[in-house]
Amino acid sequence: TPFVFITNTSLASPPLFHYFGWLIPGDKDKQGKSWCPDCVKAEPVVRGQLSHLPEGSVFIYCQVGERAYWKDPKNDFKETLKLTGVPTLLRYGTPQKLVEEECFKADLVKMMFTED
Amino acid sequence: MAALYGGRHRWKRINCLHIFSRKLTGKYDYDLLVIGGGSGGLACSKEAAQLGQKVAVLDYVEPSAKGTKWGLGGTCVNVGCIPKKLMHQAALLGTAVKDAKKYGWQIPDTISHDWPTMAEAVQNHVKSLNWGHRVQLQDKKVKYMNLKGSLVDEHTVRGLSKAGKETVLTAKNIVIATGGRPKYPTNIPGAAEHGITSDDIFWLKKSPGKTLVVGASYVALECAGFLKGIGLDTTVMVRSIALRGFDQQMASLVTDYMEAHGTRFAWKSVPNRVDKLSSGALQVTWTDTQTGSEHKDTFDSVLWAVGRAPETKALGLDKLGVQLNKETGKIVVGPDESTSVPNIYAFGDIGEGRPELTPTAIKAGKLLAHRLAGQSTELMNYDNVPTTVFTPLEYSCVGLSEEEAEKRHGKDGIEIYHAFYKPLEFTVAERDASQCYIKVVCEQGGNGKILGLHFTGPNAGEVAQGFAMGFQCGATYSHLIQTVGIHPTCAEEVVKVHITKRSGLDATVTGC
Repeated sequence: TPFVFITNTSLASPPLFHYFGWLIPGDKDKQGKSWCPDCVKAEPVVRGQLSHLPEGSVFIYCQVGERAYWKDPKNDFKETLKLTGVPTLLRYGTPQKLVEEECFKADLVKMMFTED
Repeated sequence: MAALYGGRHRWKRINCLHIFSRKLTGKYDYDLLVIGGGSGGLACSKEAAQLGQKVAVLDYVEPSAKGTKWGLGGTCVNVGCIPKKLMHQAALLGTAVKDAKKYGWQIPDTISHDWPTMAEAVQNHVKSLNWGHRVQLQDKKVKYMNLKGSLVDEHTVRGLSKAGKETVLTAKNIVIATGGRPKYPTNIPGAAEHGITSDDIFWLKKSPGKTLVVGASYVALECAGFLKGIGLDTTVMVRSIALRGFDQQMASLVTDYMEAHGTRFAWKSVPNRVDKLSSGALQVTWTDTQTGSEHKDTFDSVLWAVGRAPETKALGLDKLGVQLNKETGKIVVGPDESTSVPNIYAFGDIGEGRPELTPTAIKAGKLLAHRLAGQSTELMNYDNVPTTVFTPLEYSCVGLSEEEAEKRHGKDGIEIYHAFYKPLEFTVAERDASQCYIKVVCEQGGNGKILGLHFTGPNAGEVAQGFAMGFQCGATYSHLIQTVGIHPTCAEEVVKVHITKRSGLDATVTGC
């Protein structure tokens, strides 16, 4: 499964743009179901708030791979991005992030996009 | 005549109608409006919202004189407890790395500390807390506004944004929890232009270098402590005594340890002026008040830690008749945190006579929320509050100092048990434990009710927390010595304490 990997070096600070990462698994099982039901539930919520993204934002839709890869405690996402769960919505380069059930709440997503 | 009468009557009626309609609809924007988003303000507003109240919190940080500003969370999160403890930990780790050699670790002879690495890590953690608080407020349905609040009348607050935009808000109850900010000395030329305060130290991007800390409060000593601990040349300038208000014997042990470990102390000295040299360094001239002699030295940074002033100036309190203490400038409050104006409350650092501590502000805030929601009458208990000073040798205490106990009960009304002990970990590390000490002040006679407990040593805060519960339960010396110690720990020496000061015997603990 292809995924976009964000490295530390490519984004200088202070950021010229706001980088938002939306990290979820992209693969589905034979029945066409994602192994992350929370991600499926949160996706329309996040997509619904995209109109509130600040000007000049870059929204990166990033897939974290198969369940087995995600479960490995040494995977790149856990090591480099310090992810603790999926779905994760983060503002790269800042401590701002929403994890798992927090992504179900439209007001929190909107808050992340609209506040400093 | 009739017309005149008619006119007066009409005005009266309109006035009554206005008040009547206000009460009838009960229409305030909020049930509770909290000014100040620090430890107290956040706890109060979140609790009130959970109890079903419609709550808003205003938080605004006026940048420091040096331009430092920070996010939601107040002093503790941004420029107090949290960054302080993390930098204290950084310093302790430096000592631990040196000790490690004696325990067999192969470590290079000289190790150095990189300020930017530490500062960035600390600042990132603080920022994650700012965010965490923001999410919590949103989640708990508390309306948060980044506005500078001031009182218009007993139910109206004006909020001013950074851009100067005004918002008017009304509330049934208003709570002031604006805390305090560090003071700058007023009569020392160059103080504000060239010096920094605790508001700035934790946000510096570059090392402060050789630093003069003016003051002997716990803020001064804790800052000086970690600066020296990470390897910076550090001097503390004390006007009179260290840790005013604390047990003075314990305060001496704290400063003795710092002096023994390389911190310079300029005792009984007052700075006269601060000048910036062409090299960029700061030249400080001071007077030793004991000899009258003048001294000068150059430093990279001067940190003023000469007290904190309550944030009341911009609140418009005098207009409403909210009573302030003339000496301290803090808001005079009742046991229920009420002010001289009904429906306006104040608590946390801003309250006169209150401890300037996060846990008391949080607890008081939650209890206040319960009372305002009509759910309880329980008042905050400000007695028996334990605290810890996170100096290189940590000091924790609960209850009365020896001086205070003597004042209240007389020298013959108290019995003091004490012990000098040596942490086991210090032995192999060949560290000096001369200032590791325990003092338990008890009532004379009976079971010896414990009036005060004092401890200097590693992890003093962790050691004292459990004893604070015993203290809260009215523990006596009898309870203390009935408690079996955990071995090998430093804390066990507290329950083994048996030599009295009165006996004059050597209080050094001998091995087990």
